[in-house]
Amino acid sequence: MNDPLRFPWLSASLAVLVIAALLTWRTTETRRARRVAVTGLLIALLPLLLAYTDVLRVGEYHPEPWSSGFRLDALSAPPLSLLVALALGVCIAAPRRMVSPHWLSGILLITATTQMAYATESPIILALGWGGSLVPFLVRGFFVETLPRFTKATLLASTLCLIAGLVLTKTAPTLAFGFFLGAIFLRKGLWPVHGSIVAAYEKGPLLPFALLVNGHLGGFLVTHQVIPELPEPARQLLPVLGLIALVTSAYTALLALVERKPRRLLAFLAISQASFILTGLTSHSTEGIAGALIHWQVVAVSTTVLAIIIAGLEARVGEGLDLRRFYGLGMAAPRLAVFFVVSGLALVGLPLTLGFCAEDLLLHGTLETHELIGVFLPIVTALNAVSLLRFFAALFLGRHGVEAQGMVDALPRERVVLTTALLFLVVGGIFPGIFVRLPARAAEHLTQFITPAPQFITPARALELR
Amino acid sequence: MTLLIALLCGIVAVPGVSFLSLGFAWLLGWEPPEKTVTKLTALCYGIVTTLALALALGMAITGQHRVVAELGSWFVVHDYRFPLRLLADSVSLPFQLLGAILVGVVGRFSGSYIHRDPGFFRFFLLLHLFGFGILLLFSAATFDVVIGGWELVGLTSVMLIAFFQHRDEPVKNALRAFATYRTCDIGLLVGVVLLHGQTGSAGFEALSQIHAGEATLLGLLFLLAAMGKGAQVPFSGWLPRAMEGPTPSTAIFYGALSVHAGAYLLLRAQPLLQESRVAAGIVVVVGLATALHGTLAGRAAADTKTGLAHASLTQLGLVFAELGMGWTTLALWHIVGHAAVRTLEFLRAPSMLHDYHHVHAAAGGALSTSGEHYKKLLPESVRHWFYRLALDRGHLDTIVERFLIGPVLRLATGLQRSGKKKTENTHE
Repeated sequence: MNDPLRFPWLSASLAVLVIAALLTWRTTETRRARRVAVTGLLIALLPLLLAYTDVLRVGEYHPEPWSSGFRLDALSAPPLSLLVALALGVCIAAPRRMVSPHWLSGILLITATTQMAYATESPIILALGWGGSLVPFLVRGFFVETLPRFTKATLLASTLCLIAGLVLTKTAPTLAFGFFLGAIFLRKGLWPVHGSIVAAYEKGPLLPFALLVNGHLGGFLVTHQVIPELPEPARQLLPVLGLIALVTSAYTALLALVERKPRRLLAFLAISQASFILTGLTSHSTEGIAGALIHWQVVAVSTTVLAIIIAGLEARVGEGLDLRRFYGLGMAAPRLAVFFVVSGLALVGLPLTLGFCAEDLLLHGTLETHELIGVFLPIVTALNAVSLLRFFAALFLGRHGVEAQGMVDALPRERVVLTTALLFLVVGGIFPGIFVRLPARAAEHLTQFITPAPQFITPARALELR
Repeated sequence: MTLLIALLCGIVAVPGVSFLSLGFAWLLGWEPPEKTVTKLTALCYGIVTTLALALALGMAITGQHRVVAELGSWFVVHDYRFPLRLLADSVSLPFQLLGAILVGVVGRFSGSYIHRDPGFFRFFLLLHLFGFGILLLFSAATFDVVIGGWELVGLTSVMLIAFFQHRDEPVKNALRAFATYRTCDIGLLVGVVLLHGQTGSAGFEALSQIHAGEATLLGLLFLLAAMGKGAQVPFSGWLPRAMEGPTPSTAIFYGALSVHAGAYLLLRAQPLLQESRVAAGIVVVVGLATALHGTLAGRAAADTKTGLAHASLTQLGLVFAELGMGWTTLALWHIVGHAAVRTLEFLRAPSMLHDYHHVHAAAGGALSTSGEHYKKLLPESVRHWFYRLALDRGHLDTIVERFLIGPVLRLATGLQRSGKKKTENTHE
């Protein structure tokens, strides 16, 4: 600890979010509630950015003077600031008809609880944050749309698994590892429970759920709890999780190829690409882990942008879009089309975007340790790229129908948010240094726990050894 | 930084900067008038051509055969770094010059050709992105950087095939081209990472450390990538479909630069082909098969641009065969000559009927169709069989659909159905 923070930035930021959530809940007028929420998120973001620069400057561990429960390091600083920024973007750009004071309060609550889980060192607060982020979806009154029962059950089960894992960490590490694996598996919607996430995207509240998913608490659990606390089981068994993640990404990429509903297609793409985060985190290589941590940021920003655009399009032309035909909306909304295609292609590793750096590192990392797994990554990415372009083409290209008539392009508030997101992806792609530095540092730290990687022994090699 | 290095960097940076400035200006709400866009394009490629000429002259005067610009590392993680290194040598310099001149010429031509088209600005924006991508590709000193240029060229190509977006057909064809590109690009991505794994570097010089067995694998991976961009058999189906794009982009992409990117990659991968006779042999076979396919299918093409696309295929096939044989100098000159002539032909294609009548009249109505004497060598039944084969473009689309696209889509549909059943059961 070279230069401890002199002000409890994290507690202040968290307190602002909670106060803003309470205020918006009590506000009756939507416009005013939006102003409160945006102001709250801006105030919460500023100290986080200050703390982020401090982590960049002096080191990776900064306990607050009076609260030993919160910390910010190379691992938690980027996703924490990013999540608050994404929540801010969602609150600004969400279509007016979707937003209500309670809706905004729900967004703030998701952000505050996820932030709590990111920043804490205490297992109790981690469990509270993990479970608390689900509250707006489980309690009636926050969002109009409710999650399907299957999704609710899956997410609750993930919380129970997490609690069991945290309780057993000291006494039965292998069992705890199993429970953590279960929590990650259920929270991230890995195959075969991916349906829970897809159904939530389709029938639930799109933007809040996208924000919840983009917290990537499953991935955070791997880096924050599983690898540092249970290094031996992690070294031996994490590749299994990586393999399941790879199967999930391939399976959902295939499903995306033939999907015709925009929300479901977005869900498949998000799950498929987000599964690479786990594949990278379990690769036992510094490049792979760093790639996964950068990819985490890219997935979060890109899929949130796509969700904002889809929500905007639904507000403009209705919800019954069918991707088997072309809508030609690009004629009426060229800027939305550009935002969609650039952030979508960043998700699948377009050069000149941060996604390219992430993909390059992921590919190097996984191929270095497990060649066969590594070969799958570009194949799955190629499938996702094709689905994504089909998605774009169906919505924005082709002969325009009645839907495109009189449709407005990106509104100023949408333009501000989407341009900022695009700048993040493009500037991050051209000058990736600042975005790579912290993930690289975190990856080096994590690799110490789990190297050397266990070797997969092929049948031929086993015979040779015998 | 020496002057030559600055010139080399400028060749890549100028189109990149003009693309980014035009793009962000538009996003912020300013769409410059047509005149400004065409003037900016002319200025941009005028500068790039001057820089490329100055670089060539400088290298000739100083007697340098290679200029390498070490721009540091793009990003560093642990002991892995992504080097940003540019190169001008006897292989890349002709391509850089060709790229700068042809993009400039096409930009000038397009100013009139796409005048008042609703997509005028979009076209030029994509042209600048393409210019940046292709010059990055031709100036790269490592395969890592090659990937960057390669992907940008592919993406702009797809976006320009779908340029006339108010019709469904160009969009469908663009999707087909994109799927082919992405499938074949897997070869480049995996090849580069394997090369890095084997040698610790993805620089061109690292290829000399690769031995026979690995050379075959890497050579074939690079060949797969080159086959996609170069529209080699069996991935030729996208090229005639790409003719849906506006004529100037067709000229620059499928007559001049983009289709030759694959050949350029194989030029760079020569050490692998020299090490592995198997890979080299397969390159020759693929090239000759493409040449045969191109000349056959081209004879049954119903429109000028498709005919020219197949003529391009034939020449590209021959270039690949030359590369497989190791005749790199011949291949280089073949590419340069072919790119220049084909660009001219594509740009003249819209007025071809007028030209034909002009020539026909000048020849006193005595113009004969070419190739008749070959046809007469074959019996009529064989000629009919060839005609059917040519008309369906060698059944290549059918083969790819039946054995590649079809199974993948069937698998996806099957998984989707079983998933739906499971979901219904869960909800019940």
